[in-house]
Amino acid sequence: MNERTLSYALLVPAFVIVIATTIYPLAYSFVTSFREWDLTKQLRPSGFVGLQNYAHAATESGFQNSLWVTAIFVVTSVILTVVLAMSLALLLRRTGRLHTFTRIILILPFAMSPALIGVSYRFMFNPEFGVLAKGLGAVFPALEGTPWLANPDLAMAILVITDVWHWAPYMTFMCLGGLASVPRETEEAARIDGASNLRIVFGIILPQMKGVLLVTAVLKTIFALKMFDQVVTLTGGGPGTSTETMAFFIFNVGFEWFDMGYASALAWILTIITMVISAWYVRMLLSERKMATA
Amino acid sequence: MAEVRLVDIEKKYGSFLAVPQQSLTIEDGEFLVLLGPSGCGKTTTMRMIAGLEDITAGDIQIAGERVNDKPPKDRDIAMVFQNYGLYPHMTVRQNIEYPLKLRKVNKAERARRVQDTADKVELGTLLDRRPSELSGGQRQRVALARAIVRTPKIFLMDEPLSNLDAKLRVTMRAELKHLHHELGVTTVYVTHDQMEAMTLADRVAVMREGRIVQLDTPKRIYSDPADLFVAGFIGSPSMNLIDGAVQDGRFIAEGMDLPVSLPDRDEVVFGIRPEDLELADGDTPIKGRLYALELTGESTLVTMRAGKTSVCARGHADFEAPINAPCHLAPKTGARFYLFDRATGQRLDG
Repeated sequence: MNERTLSYALLVPAFVIVIATTIYPLAYSFVTSFREWDLTKQLRPSGFVGLQNYAHAATESGFQNSLWVTAIFVVTSVILTVVLAMSLALLLRRTGRLHTFTRIILILPFAMSPALIGVSYRFMFNPEFGVLAKGLGAVFPALEGTPWLANPDLAMAILVITDVWHWAPYMTFMCLGGLASVPRETEEAARIDGASNLRIVFGIILPQMKGVLLVTAVLKTIFALKMFDQVVTLTGGGPGTSTETMAFFIFNVGFEWFDMGYASALAWILTIITMVISAWYVRMLLSERKMATA
Repeated sequence: MAEVRLVDIEKKYGSFLAVPQQSLTIEDGEFLVLLGPSGCGKTTTMRMIAGLEDITAGDIQIAGERVNDKPPKDRDIAMVFQNYGLYPHMTVRQNIEYPLKLRKVNKAERARRVQDTADKVELGTLLDRRPSELSGGQRQRVALARAIVRTPKIFLMDEPLSNLDAKLRVTMRAELKHLHHELGVTTVYVTHDQMEAMTLADRVAVMREGRIVQLDTPKRIYSDPADLFVAGFIGSPSMNLIDGAVQDGRFIAEGMDLPVSLPDRDEVVFGIRPEDLELADGDTPIKGRLYALELTGESTLVTMRAGKTSVCARGHADFEAPINAPCHLAPKTGARFYLFDRATGQRLDG
């Protein structure tokens, strides 16, 4: 066997695994999205129904609601995460014991399982014995006894907070990496030229961080669109359907209502939304790179 | 234009003393070069003048005013950085215009000054390009233009030519010299390149381990080095420094026997510049075997070895001889030579 053949042969196991675990399920779900498949009635998909599942999605209120919930969640969590990550990176880029220590402990939230974060926050916001609920009540007496997770707006806010808390550290490290590539001299030149600290951040540093911030935003958007674990363990989609994200709703359609055809169609809608948003980001990123290297 | 006075300034990083206490006055309109090897404190000294580094002790005065507590923007200085420090997301025009914009100069005045400055450094046609679309030399010009556009009191230049290729460096050197002549602004220039220092400076401050070891005109630094360090640092090729001893009024080393006026002592370093030596015949005071010949164009560098002693002389461009052939060198008539203490580096010949 020559070297070229061997190198292809060595790639075969990886290809097989990717095909079996990703390509095949994707293709299968795509085909299923055009068929009717009620899991309570049959083990295999039945006849083709054309675009019926997709048409149903366009009018069904549950999905419309999840689309709206996801949009609110994605926009708020992406903006808050990126802003917080960039701010933390600016604070932590200096060297020193305190900065190094803070960087190390920053890893902890990211190291925690999202499901566990959901459970922890549910306990912490329990109005009877939750440490955060009690603490907030002690500082702001008006908040004493607030049923945090029983209020739709507050539940969404807490869901966003847990997600930002989970992802901001990782994104901070990405921003720190980006900041390291911004030449210190441009900042010093601006200081000498007469720029204030705020102007240096917004006029000199951030424009040079555009590429990194775009990558951070695209990754966070993809993760936010897939939001599932914390919804399950923190709010259960409630109160009512106020925190029912798309991923959570699709799970319910497939594994609570057992309507696999409709669930597949919804999953593909989510995939297409993710792809369109990612493509838009990548396009912006490429035009940014083009401008930087032109 | 202004005078810069550093009075007993000192810089410490924790317990590390980067710049020990020292004073320096840079005259109004002077071109002063801080010269020294990497890590000698020259850039730190410049950054202290700029306000980019706090000083641990002492005072910095610009035009008679103490500026210790003033931020860089209020010191009326402009700085040119080694890596240019250009704003990559701005065009050449926006880069040059930036300091004026921050100082709220009106639009029409800004446009006029940007165009004038760009023309001065021959960037007039490149104003709408971004730094990434420019060559190294052009970027350096943008950095210069940004520095001169607001006519500051002081120019600070931190190894501005070190990223350019050798040919461009020579061209830019001449342009800097011309610009200084034209603008007459007090300039502090940091470099480790002694050729840059010699060609540009009105005065050179040679630094070592944070201290200024000699502050003088280039001519005097070259012809009258304060110590062994300065003697070895200035000159290309550098001064021949030969270890030996003085006995009975003669400097003795392997392959060398020269009359000197110094009492007997060991551990002496004899220094002589290659251009002060000539190739000779017969019984010369420096004898050995030819080690290498390097043609530089206008002359040939002849390196001779005798045991541990290695001596370089500048010979005629046409000089040719086989390697390992006997080689005889002698100081030219009226040649200067220097004697140093090996241990302290101090001059012994006065």
